Amino acid sequence: MTPKAAFNLIPLAAKQLLRHRVRTLLTVLGIAAGMFLYALVESMQTAVSRTTAVQASDVTLVVYRENRYCPSTSRLPLYYEDEIRRIPGVREVIPIQITVNNCGASLDIVTFRGVPPRQLARFAPEIQVTEGSREDWERTDDGALIGENFAARRGLKPGDAFEAAGVRVTISGILTSPNLQDNDVAYVHLPFLQQASRRGLGEVTQFNVRVEDPAHLEEVAAAIDATFKTAEEPTHTQPEKAFFAQAARELIELTGFTRWIGLGAVIAVLGLVANAVLLVVRTRIRENAVLQTLGYPDSAIAWLVLLEGLLLGLAGGLIGAGSAMGFLAISRITFGNEGQVMSITPDPGLFLSGLLLALVLGGLASTYPAWMAVRRPIVESLRT
Amino acid sequence: MENDQDILIRCLSVTKQYKKGENLVTPLDTLDLDIPRGDFLAMMGPSGSGKTTLLNLLSGIDQPTSGSIEVDGVAIHALSRRALAAWRARQVGYIFQLYHLVPVLTAFENVELPLLLDDLKRRERREKVEAALSLVGLSDRMHHFPRELSGGQEQRVAIARALVADPPLLVADEPTGDLDRESADAILGLLQTLSREQGKTIVMVTHDPKAAGAASRTLHLEKGQLLEAVS
Ligand SMILES: Nc1ncnc2c1ncn2[C@@H]1O[C@H](COP(=O)(O)OP(=O)(O)OP(=O)(O)O)[C@@H](O)[C@H]1O
Ligand SMILES: [Mg+2]
Repeated sequence: MTPKAAFNLIPLAAKQLLRHRVRTLLTVLGIAAGMFLYALVESMQTAVSRTTAVQASDVTLVVYRENRYCPSTSRLPLYYEDEIRRIPGVREVIPIQITVNNCGASLDIVTFRGVPPRQLARFAPEIQVTEGSREDWERTDDGALIGENFAARRGLKPGDAFEAAGVRVTISGILTSPNLQDNDVAYVHLPFLQQASRRGLGEVTQFNVRVEDPAHLEEVAAAIDATFKTAEEPTHTQPEKAFFAQAARELIELTGFTRWIGLGAVIAVLGLVANAVLLVVRTRIRENAVLQTLGYPDSAIAWLVLLEGLLLGLAGGLIGAGSAMGFLAISRITFGNEGQVMSITPDPGLFLSGLLLALVLGGLASTYPAWMAVRRPIVESLRT
Repeated sequence: MENDQDILIRCLSVTKQYKKGENLVTPLDTLDLDIPRGDFLAMMGPSGSGKTTLLNLLSGIDQPTSGSIEVDGVAIHALSRRALAAWRARQVGYIFQLYHLVPVLTAFENVELPLLLDDLKRRERREKVEAALSLVGLSDRMHHFPRELSGGQEQRVAIARALVADPPLLVADEPTGDLDRESADAILGLLQTLSREQGKTIVMVTHDPKAAGAASRTLHLEKGQLLEAVS
């Protein structure tokens, strides 16, 4: 069979599928449901590894009170800032007080990060203000600079006010940052947050540290902890993503479990396509024999069967993976735990790989039916 | 039959056996048959005498248990499954009693089926399909689906499908068996025209003596052997 012939047969396979509209529709919906689940699970897995897998280029450390894992219990003296700044390899440091509306695992977490306003631009030059203005924020005591994901989730814009965890702020601007955590938090003035949350003025939750050279991330972390080893409040320092991985261990274990859901969805799709295509082959034994009589080789008959599986997979994949992306775009799910947040966002790469997987599953599931279709002697099939 | 050049099909001691449970059925038993090019041959015989079996062997959708079948110099009994499929596509058109059109395809699309395997341009395919449909007198029914056609029209579409790749050999298994007299006569007339004007070699199985009368000669198949009818 030539490539041109293979191409010529595509409309025929499509027409055959439309012959049993209801059956095809049900099958496509089933595949779509499976691929929807799969794409959601994969999106979640991707979000987890994006927020927790430390990369070679990461330069941010989090300094936390040793053995305190929740922002409400980690307290470090503000004056540590100057000592940390003096440690070799440290490029920049910023004290942060974290206040969250919910310290456990939650789907809609509001995280305030109280920072000295003028220090933020120096510490994180990658943060860009897309709406409102940074100057406005620096001038406004109760101003908040909020991440774009958070803004979209809550439908907030500059000038709006909102309250969470007993803290009421006015939005001065929306920020976007390649550092994913930033896109889900609200930056506010440190003194304002300390007052609003009735925490000590000289205390913060953590320090974020930028190192000069990503290769020395662990070394600098060790040096910081060594400095405060015998201090009243000893520290525990680790890369930001490792910090998240540790803080949200339970969450990650839970999402790890969802891999089984993804696998289950994949197997269900396989079974569904195989069943549908097998049924098609059974009901078309004589028709295929007629095509063989016309001179269709086994390869063309098998290709026609395979095409039906592929088309089912394609349609189901488009609908399933597409609606998963749409769902994520609209609902913007954010997981959070102990002040760290993780957004599940739609990803075109994932959409494409979902589509590809659906195609592969469709093809795979119809290989056995395709073999069934060419196995019988022609004359026997004609006699049925 | 004196001149080898004129022989299109030559069967030499062809035997076909089927296993039916424990029993061995032998519908064709060391059968010899020569069919000249351009012949319009009718084949009659009681039910179960092996007529369909013989057509299937001649058209290369089945292979003999022993013996040889040469069509236009090609030993089709020795061809591989794949080579046989390619051979069928060029050399034979098969016409079934029950037409066997694909119900989801229009008359045009049904006739187009054999051409989809070729590297033809869309326009070339259309021309061939239109020519075949016009030959069977169905130019005005091209875009009708099989369920919108009468039995006689369906059979004419099936004949157009058998003709479209211009094979030298047409085989027909009781092509008028399911039709009323009028439609049957139209089909027989069409086959006669194809034989006379296009030089097609036609082998037609029939139970109907009137249908056999349309052919240029009739053979009787009985107990796996052929008897020439003297008319
Ligand atoms: N695929 C097969 N498997 C087993 N037996 C078969 C097969 N094909 C044909 N036969 C047997 O071979 C014999 C001849 O069958 P065939 O179909 O050739 O008869 P026929 O002359 O066409 O009969 P009819 O006029 O009823 O169509 C019958 O006994 C039939 O049961
Ligand atoms: Mg028969």
